Amino acid sequence: MNFNNPSNSFEWTVFLAKKYSDMFIRGTWLTLYIAVIGTIIGFILGYLVGVVEDIRINPGDKIIRKFFVRLIKAIFSIYVEIFRDTPMIVQAMIIYYGIKLLGVEMTPVFSGILVTVLNTGAYMAETVRGGIGSIDLGQREGAWAMGMSSFKTMLYVVLPQAFKNIIPEMANTFLTNLKMTSVLNVIAVQELFMAAKTVGGNYYKYFEAYLVIAVIYFILCFVFNKIFNLLERKMQGKTDYALAVEYMDNQ
Amino acid sequence: MSETVISIKDLSKSFGDHEVLRKIDIEVNAGEIICIVGSSGSGKSTLLRCINKLERQTSGKILYHNKEVRDVQKDINKYRSKVGMVFQSFNLFNNMTVLENCMLCTRKVLHLSKEEAFDRAITHLKEVGMAPYINAKPAQLSGGQKQRVAIARSLCMNPEVLLFDEPTSALDPEMVGEVLNVMKELATTGLTMIIVTHEMAFARDVSTRTIFMDRGYVAEDAAPLELFTNPQNPRTREFLKRYLAG
Repeated sequence: MNFNNPSNSFEWTVFLAKKYSDMFIRGTWLTLYIAVIGTIIGFILGYLVGVVEDIRINPGDKIIRKFFVRLIKAIFSIYVEIFRDTPMIVQAMIIYYGIKLLGVEMTPVFSGILVTVLNTGAYMAETVRGGIGSIDLGQREGAWAMGMSSFKTMLYVVLPQAFKNIIPEMANTFLTNLKMTSVLNVIAVQELFMAAKTVGGNYYKYFEAYLVIAVIYFILCFVFNKIFNLLERKMQGKTDYALAVEYMDNQ
Repeated sequence: MSETVISIKDLSKSFGDHEVLRKIDIEVNAGEIICIVGSSGSGKSTLLRCINKLERQTSGKILYHNKEVRDVQKDINKYRSKVGMVFQSFNLFNNMTVLENCMLCTRKVLHLSKEEAFDRAITHLKEVGMAPYINAKPAQLSGGQKQRVAIARSLCMNPEVLLFDEPTSALDPEMVGEVLNVMKELATTGLTMIIVTHEMAFARDVSTRTIFMDRGYVAEDAAPLELFTNPQNPRTREFLKRYLAG
């Protein structure tokens, strides 16, 4: 095997990975950076939208409250609809060039994160809605019947359980994001895909260059998948409990 | 004559075209133990849910200490913290231990300190015999145990009135006994209780007043002895026939 003077595809792959390791590492970091930041903020946005969708209006509420709740709900549902019904690659283009048209300068990375956030938020909103729906209404009524506000009930009773139920879906979303950052090369974000494109172009060895990032993507996703599995198992909690013996008598 | 706590005035409720409650008028006085009996679908549970404002009435009013409970969330929440409810399906918070179940609302609604909330929780859990289980999650308890925890949880709010919506209907006979015993115990403390139940013996022995509901109407509202031994309404007689014969 001669990795300095490559003659077959395998040797070329190793050669490129070694020679351009800086570039691939930088690409990996940027991919991770955009995916992690974009997903976290996107999740927050998704929770916000999902929870707002659940707000109910009472006939006795003030007119102004009714108006605002309806307005925000309408805005959110339009947002969710638009971002679920268009491809992320097109959203990236439109946001990047659209904002330029408005005369605001944004770095490609910032645009990339923005697109990821908005895209994730739209999907998460639906996931959160499903998660909230998975908690039986009875538990909420139990809290309401003792005078808990809808908001506190959501915060302390519904969301902690909904969160647990949608961990697999959140993991899915994150892994999707990790891979979907690759489309951001169209707005010149120097993430992994862009690195492979550049490297491949230097030697006309596209297959080998993309093989390198395929391995990197795989390892990233594999590791995160394991982490999420662990988290899910942790959240399941103990199956047994200790009797409080100090209260055993006096019954 | 004791004070009126809740007055239900001309209350009607329809789900679409289906009239579930028709012009209900009930006065609930402090310290009364009212049992509501009747066949399934007669509107008993809906009435109770209307009293707790979990259902909105189509017309009519509910007064609490002679003041109308308006359909404003803040008013409703305040009212509910005084008028608790125990459900057929327990409705415990599954993500919390027994102790956390009993402390959540006292902490978040009444803003008690941790120590006060804990003391209250333990006091009421002891009353229902569930104190040793403070670390258990609802899924680890039997139905009867869950219901006893649910009762303790409601008591922690120091309610003035406690509503029971068929609290024993989801339980096996042995568990029914343990829950009814807790409720009998409660009845002696002076707490005002409205209980929807199919346990006729319990209604007869424990209630101070029994209401028989039929097709959305209050068909009969009388002292239990009278209602069970000498029912006036033909529907009541028919409903109780099997029970009276037995």
